[in-house]
Amino acid sequence: MNSITETKTPTIHQIADLLTDVASELMTSGAHTMRIIQNISRMAETFGYYIDLSVFQLSIMMTITSKSDQSERITVIKKTRPLLLNFTFVSDLSSLSWDTYDKQLPFDEVKEKFHAIISQKKMSRWLVLFLVACANASFCALFKGDLHAVALVFIGTTAGFFVRQEMIKRHINHLVVFTTSAFVASLLSGLGYALHLGNTPEIALAASVLYLIPGVPLINSILDIIEGHILTGTARLVNATSLIVCIALGLFSAMLILGLEKL
Amino acid sequence: MSSNIFLLVLFDGLLAAIAAIGFAVISNPSRKAVFVSAFLAAVGHALRFFLIKSGLEISLATFVAASCIGLMSIFFAKMIHCPAEVFSFPSLLPMIPGLFAYRTILGLIRFMQNDDPVKSQEFLQNIFHNGFTTMFILLALVIGVSLPVLLFPKYSFKVTRKY
Repeated sequence: MNSITETKTPTIHQIADLLTDVASELMTSGAHTMRIIQNISRMAETFGYYIDLSVFQLSIMMTITSKSDQSERITVIKKTRPLLLNFTFVSDLSSLSWDTYDKQLPFDEVKEKFHAIISQKKMSRWLVLFLVACANASFCALFKGDLHAVALVFIGTTAGFFVRQEMIKRHINHLVVFTTSAFVASLLSGLGYALHLGNTPEIALAASVLYLIPGVPLINSILDIIEGHILTGTARLVNATSLIVCIALGLFSAMLILGLEKL
Repeated sequence: MSSNIFLLVLFDGLLAAIAAIGFAVISNPSRKAVFVSAFLAAVGHALRFFLIKSGLEISLATFVAASCIGLMSIFFAKMIHCPAEVFSFPSLLPMIPGLFAYRTILGLIRFMQNDDPVKSQEFLQNIFHNGFTTMFILLALVIGVSLPVLLFPKYSFKVTRKY
């Protein structure tokens, strides 16, 4: 009896655990609902099961049924983590699901590959900080801000995004993070008014908080609604809107301090 | 005049590309995807700029630009085996109507704080104008970019397949 080399068939519980882990990781990384369902169904089919999946903002619910034996069926609910965009994960997990399907990969290998994907290193935070500041500064130039405005936005965004990175690292509430970092960015960018720099200080102030706009959640929400996942889409939309309100509040308090009326 | 507008469009595209790179890296995509989204953003934003300059209304221009990005992204997706939204979403970010959204919220705050009926009417008008502009641009962006997914759903979900 050589039981070590023999490949064990995974139990339904092991498969359900892996699939919900993948689904929750996709949700956290910012995939839209249709993609999550497609990827997970594909993987489940490879292992000889089919699934019914509901995706919500804070949890996913999945019933997994064996194709060969209808009575072998369990339902799993798994919490998802708060949104932390990561498109490398979305892309790689999507590839993994096709690989699993096309090459009929065994369960253990899929699990190994999944853990390899989610432990990938991220881009250096300082590079991200620099690129975001450049992006927002060029945004200011798009709105026809002059050089003073562009420079102010660069400084404001650097400070604001740094604050955001630090606060996210400390797991502070998302809404607080957005308000604070909008406040810091707009206060610094609004200094053009106080110091009478350049001719377009209002553009600097307006552009300073644009890097915070939750663009991907907004796009995902509309896409979900179009594809019929109205509940998830609405949840994402409400979430994104509340972030925008928070950003506007941060901007508004900075304007109050600077004594400005109009934007 | 015509060479002038050409330069302006080019400049607009360049700035949009820088903006797209910065907004893309927040969502940590692969390096290839960053460059593709910069290119798509440049084309899309420059196209929108040109259309607005030639007199098209902003949400319609956005729709055209977004569908252009959506169609191109399918080809790139096939080329680098990566879901289309990984680079088409970041390339839309420079067109997200952030400014209109803030103006809506700030307008709401002003409307609440104000008691002069004449001014209130003006604020209300602004709130509605900015709010609807935000909504329609957003819809135009998403419907435009997902046109390929809606038209060819089978094809769009297969791009990450390697065999």
